[in-house]
Amino acid sequence: MAYAVRFEDVIKRYSRGGPRYPSLRYELAEGVRRIGARFRGEHPEPRGTLALDRVSFEVQEGEAFAIIGPNGAGKTTALKLVSRISYPTGGQVRVRGRVAALIEVGSGVHPELTARENIWLYGQILGMSRSEVRRRFDEIVDFAELGHVMDTPVKLYSSGMQMRLGFAIASHLDPEIFVVDEALAVGDSGFQAKCVERMTKLVAEGRTLLFVSHALSAVEAICGRGVFLLDGRSASAGPTRAVLRAYLEWIDEAARRRGVRPLSVAGRGLVIERVTLHGPGGEERYAFRTGEPLIVWFHVRALEVVPNPWFSVGVNDGRPGALLLCTMLERPMQYVLEPGNHVIKCRIGSLPLGPRTYEVWASVRESQGAVDLVDWVCVGAFRVAHEDAVAGPSGATVPWMYGPVRVDHSWAVESG
Amino acid sequence: MELHAAALPVGRLEMIIDGGPRPRLGQALRELWAFRHTVLAFAERDVRLKYKQTVLGVLWAIIQPLALMLVFTVAFGRLAKVSGGGAPYPAFSLSALVPWMFLQTAVTFGANALLMDSAIIRKVYLPREVPVLGAVAQAGVDLAIGVALVAVLSPALGARFSATWLLMPVLAVLLALLAVAVALPLAALNVYFRDFRYALPFALQLWLFASPVAYPMSVVPAQWQGLYVTLNPAAGILDAFRRVLALGMLPDARLLAASLAGTVALLWGGYRLFKGLEPNIADVV
Repeated sequence: MAYAVRFEDVIKRYSRGGPRYPSLRYELAEGVRRIGARFRGEHPEPRGTLALDRVSFEVQEGEAFAIIGPNGAGKTTALKLVSRISYPTGGQVRVRGRVAALIEVGSGVHPELTARENIWLYGQILGMSRSEVRRRFDEIVDFAELGHVMDTPVKLYSSGMQMRLGFAIASHLDPEIFVVDEALAVGDSGFQAKCVERMTKLVAEGRTLLFVSHALSAVEAICGRGVFLLDGRSASAGPTRAVLRAYLEWIDEAARRRGVRPLSVAGRGLVIERVTLHGPGGEERYAFRTGEPLIVWFHVRALEVVPNPWFSVGVNDGRPGALLLCTMLERPMQYVLEPGNHVIKCRIGSLPLGPRTYEVWASVRESQGAVDLVDWVCVGAFRVAHEDAVAGPSGATVPWMYGPVRVDHSWAVESG
Repeated sequence: MELHAAALPVGRLEMIIDGGPRPRLGQALRELWAFRHTVLAFAERDVRLKYKQTVLGVLWAIIQPLALMLVFTVAFGRLAKVSGGGAPYPAFSLSALVPWMFLQTAVTFGANALLMDSAIIRKVYLPREVPVLGAVAQAGVDLAIGVALVAVLSPALGARFSATWLLMPVLAVLLALLAVAVALPLAALNVYFRDFRYALPFALQLWLFASPVAYPMSVVPAQWQGLYVTLNPAAGILDAFRRVLALGMLPDARLLAASLAGTVALLWGGYRLFKGLEPNIADVV
């Protein structure tokens, strides 16, 4: 099968990535400085930021292809290269077919003009011929759902309505390759559904779609393959679900690392030196699978004799409140910590949690159960890995975004 | 950037986008021609915008040259006693002020076009000349109104209305070429260095007084006129406008040719500079 877009070792360096706003004075001074450096035989480093670093991938004709990654990873830069808005510093982008880009669609419409004028003029600016605009005018109006305010200047619209107008105009172009960036930040959920529908239809018509979005469930639903960009490099490429898994794992791992607390927590009479997490075999680790046992180890140093310090462990997913709580307070243990080092272990028999990053919180109460020796504090983080065997259209992303707690359940349909 | 048609289904071009040499002049112009309707769309938009939020609207295109004509007539015609060279001073100044106002508007709007339309430039591919040309074309409406004004006022001002008027469109094209030649490099430089934006109004004022608008061409000694007009192509074109519109004379062919040479040289250099700065415009603007 033939490719529609092909990146070959593409490098993009933005020369103005420096900390200064460019000015003539600065450029002249800089020029003189560089010439001086040449004379002294130095070779100054190329300035600026590397947005894409030897990225290669291929998008087949008629395919929906996703580019995902965190902010600043180079996604928009890649789209700008495909649509010829910007040029690569090294390597090549090969494009077969006419390209239309839907990048920040809302900001191109002119606020002083009415919707009618904007469709007419912005449509032409985007590359429609006059007759094409005339032919598709009603379709665009219908799609934007702005028929009642056609003769109002766009500046009096809400920002959502402006974006809707922009998307409506841009998505009625007639190219072979569509390049779509964050279009789903547009409008209310009803309009978003329409946008997804529109894109699926375009792909069904045999057009190629390059799709950048943080709406991961839409990515999962629309795209068959994709690439995960990280710091300008291709971190993973292939079927969307595998790429999404790599991306979600990365998000979770980054969040977990942010949650790592290396510092010890000092309480009254005892210090929690550190907290480690362990698998069923006692090995220390921070990635688990749903249903696996997890053991929390408190490495504690008692400074004096502490009778009955009652430990509690909570797990949450970053939102307030604990998803689950394991505490000695509900089944008091009688024990005494002598001065010295101890390890206190809490075993969670089976993690009822879906893929995501979780924080571990803990507190210690004194033997009356009324006063904290160590306040409720975050002591670490772990993640539950993503599963391979999901089948539904958004099976990998939706549970990740919504409910974290896994329970046994089944569905039944009873009709009539 | 190259285009290949080989080994692909009919009509499908393969485009290679890389950081290599820029397309040749001929290819750039062919592509620009393909975007001619987009230039008109930009021009139409700019005209609509210009008159949308002003109470007086189109009247501004009449008021500005008239007001300047009055000031010039009092300051130069009455007080400094500058000669109208065969026509009454008001007709003499208005006939050069109208094309000058076009040049000034076209260059000002053209030089700012890429900044004004940065939102579009950052996300739609167009040859970057398109917004600049649109801005120049948009000023053509003012020129048309201004020329109509001269036509209406001519009898009252004592100008000669003659068949030489037929040459006006040719002169307008020359003037537009000059506006493009100046606006293109300024538009690109403006993207990189805002300094040009602030220097421009000042430079335009100097240019006005360096051109025969308030005074006749005959102020410059005859043997220097050729050089003067080559270095300042506006001078020859404005003088030709004046001869044609107010004096009922044919343009001085020698001076006009020198102006044309100067304009073409400017256009060539300006367009090359523009094309050299073009690839990074969307990254910087």
